[in-house]
Amino acid sequence: MLGIEAVASFVPENMIDNLEQADRFGAEREFVEKKIGVSRLPRLREDESVAYGCVEAFKTLAKTNAVDIDKIDCLVVCTQNPDSGGLPHNSAILHAELGLKEECACFDIGLGCSGYVYGLSIIESFMQANGLKNGLFFTCDPYSKILNPEDKNTCLLFGDAATVTLISDRPKYVRAAAKFSTRGAGREALEKVDGHLTMNGRAVFNFALMDVPKQIKSLLELEALSVTDIDLFLLHQGSRFMLENTIKRAGIPADRAPIELSQTGNTVSSSIPILLEKRLDDMPGVILMSGFGVGLSWASAIYTQNF
Amino acid sequence: MHREEAAKIVIEVLEDNVLDLEITEDMMDQTLVDIGVDSLDVMLVMMDIQEKSGVPISDDKADELNTPRKIVDFILDS
Repeated sequence: MLGIEAVASFVPENMIDNLEQADRFGAEREFVEKKIGVSRLPRLREDESVAYGCVEAFKTLAKTNAVDIDKIDCLVVCTQNPDSGGLPHNSAILHAELGLKEECACFDIGLGCSGYVYGLSIIESFMQANGLKNGLFFTCDPYSKILNPEDKNTCLLFGDAATVTLISDRPKYVRAAAKFSTRGAGREALEKVDGHLTMNGRAVFNFALMDVPKQIKSLLELEALSVTDIDLFLLHQGSRFMLENTIKRAGIPADRAPIELSQTGNTVSSSIPILLEKRLDDMPGVILMSGFGVGLSWASAIYTQNF
Repeated sequence: MHREEAAKIVIEVLEDNVLDLEITEDMMDQTLVDIGVDSLDVMLVMMDIQEKSGVPISDDKADELNTPRKIVDFILDS
């Protein structure tokens, strides 16, 4: 059975002080710190790419885990802001950067904040279907490259990061169930217009608070579980206020759903694996992940410890 | 819906969602910003009021409804 063996992340050292940024936009520091919940925002430098971030994440993975590079037979990258406009697909660039063998499947996935939950299921299923044993699933979506510097709603929120998840036949966690949803009619809530990200904060907020709890409850029902059967809820770290209220509406015990975006901001598809990396060694028995955003797209999955 | 009922919904939602807020009659015509409801609170307040009153509030309308009394009036007129 295939599943998650290890996770590592890269958060750029280059940081924006979000409170100073708040001053520039005329926003209250307390509002930015306590409601948005973001004090610092990591940023890839101008000359740093998706491939760079992913390679750095891989270096961290290789430091703490025995990764046999010659055995990697699948590599997937999830991003909506790929290097070179996505041509070639960034997984091919990474294939070269990491020096992987030719007998290795590589492809990209273009999803935003639901990308980690989707991507895990895609790579696991693809590998399972094709008899592959060792895969790398990368997330890196530097929204900083498409932010409008005059738009405080997005500039105060998004941070850059990269992660890599090692998928193997020696998993610590395996997928028990998942649910996927899309509302294309609501796609204007988050889209790229004239090269810049635009966001209808209210539409995103309503979506997160109304639809995400429903999907989580539906997934729990599918598995005949209650919120108390879940040891750890890893929800996409959109903003503190949105998360607090989504957690409340889903009836999730607050102490089982970490909110940690103060030093990263909203890192899109990297937010869930950044949380997971820190908790894998604690070995929570049952984990529920939920990612939601651009699309509108939302996905939730339950992973259980593999004994 | 009677005015008292609409006012009760609006006041309860505001007080439930904004820490330490207690709405008095003289605050009904003050702007939400002036009574300490920030832009994120407004999103939550509008969503809860929609759910509790059954009256949909569009984005444009939500921007116009900037005092408690305006929200009450909008519920009654809908």
